[in-house]
Amino acid sequence: APLAELSGDQRFHTFLKNNLEFTRKIKGDVAALQRVVCDTFQLCKEEELLLLRQDLDIAQAPLELCHGRSFQADACFSQIREGLRTYHSSLDAVLELLPGHAALVETLQLDAANLSSNIQHQMEDLGLATVTYPTEARRPLPAFSSHFHHQVGGFFILANFQRFLETAYRALRHLAH
Amino acid sequence: VAVGSPIVPLGSAVTASCTIQSKLCRGLEQEKVRITWMLDNEPIAGQQGQGPGDTEVSNLTLPQFNRTQAKLWCWVEWNGTKQRVGMAEIRAGYPPSKPFNLSCTLNLSDYGLTCQWEPGADSHLPTSVVLKCAGSRAPAVTGCTPQGGRSRCTVPRRLLQLYRHMEIWVSATNTLGTAESEHLCIDPMDVAKLDPPALQSIQSIPFQTDCIALTWEVARSNAHMELQCELRYRTPADTAWALVTNIIGHAGTTQCCGFLFGTQYHFQMRCRRSLAQGYWSEWSLGRNYTTHEKAPTGKLDAWWSTRP
Repeated sequence: APLAELSGDQRFHTFLKNNLEFTRKIKGDVAALQRVVCDTFQLCKEEELLLLRQDLDIAQAPLELCHGRSFQADACFSQIREGLRTYHSSLDAVLELLPGHAALVETLQLDAANLSSNIQHQMEDLGLATVTYPTEARRPLPAFSSHFHHQVGGFFILANFQRFLETAYRALRHLAH
Repeated sequence: VAVGSPIVPLGSAVTASCTIQSKLCRGLEQEKVRITWMLDNEPIAGQQGQGPGDTEVSNLTLPQFNRTQAKLWCWVEWNGTKQRVGMAEIRAGYPPSKPFNLSCTLNLSDYGLTCQWEPGADSHLPTSVVLKCAGSRAPAVTGCTPQGGRSRCTVPRRLLQLYRHMEIWVSATNTLGTAESEHLCIDPMDVAKLDPPALQSIQSIPFQTDCIALTWEVARSNAHMELQCELRYRTPADTAWALVTNIIGHAGTTQCCGFLFGTQYHFQMRCRRSLAQGYWSEWSLGRNYTTHEKAPTGKLDAWWSTRP
């Protein structure tokens, strides 16, 4: 059924409410890692690192189909899944950067994969076309020319992921109301 | 000693045979081999006869083996003495009982799912028990294996799918069969055990009324959840608690009225996810608060007693 008709479907509503909560949890964990990066490397403000950002090849997942006039729920779901996959891989760089917080980073990767499969199952339940990604196809880590660049890269991976989650959250909330 | 099966259903028949090749046993060649049996310490009669290839064989049937464990000894008489020449250990029991009362709780500090169950009657046999779990559209895997004969174990986060239904059950297997518990179909988040909130402050607001304003903080591990909370309070003299329900967790403050003046009350709060009506958290640590005194109302009667 077209997504519009589903606004009354209780299971779809439960899916949205549950995964809104899940997204809030992931956002909280990303924020916790951002605090660690700030405390550990004194990298706290994006505006102080804009020049460096241009030199670093930091993945940023597109979500243009999740907001504004071009909002299309099924396409947005696919973009969210693709983005979660991108950040799942990028977090490997953060894992290397913060070995002392491996548990939190790995939980974040688990949650990102879990949220993506939740969305995939929901899309399948809705009869929407879905992409099944090879589970272990990991993207190559960006090559950082120095440890400092690695730190800044880690900072932007988390900042971009937080923004991505914020947009994804608003899209899910839009569908929930 | 050869037995039909070393493990048999309790009460069923057991067959065994003891074969002696006397020419291989120094000192036995010439004499007439006499084979006897003992079940642990109890003599048992067998049927002895010649076996293939110049052997002596004694066959034994125990029609109803009622012990859960026993040693079946084969003896031979030699130089006027009895010699143990062979042994078979036999165990008897039942197929595993069906585990029951399976329930699970998700711990929000490590997101491990701890499940416990009742094992059912003892099968008297070595039985392997595992907790199985299967995500929707995913194959069943072993979630965890209870240690030390316990009937509980914890499925690690990496094997769970949060916010989606999973099937969870217990599987018990021994030589005589396999038994499975009922299959639980749950979203691990729906059985999350929340950490209790923390009461922060209690004040008489608005002043000079019978109302109080109470503030609290939800636990960090629940911060991302929509919570439904309830407050309970009583005076030291009360036996029953007064209960205030349907408080929105993230409000962080609530106001209640109808309190007695100048009275000490004890307050506690607990919360649960409003999405799934899952488990309540424990009650928070208690907080005492004594409401303020109130000026007496009504006309003041003044009198003066004098003694003539």
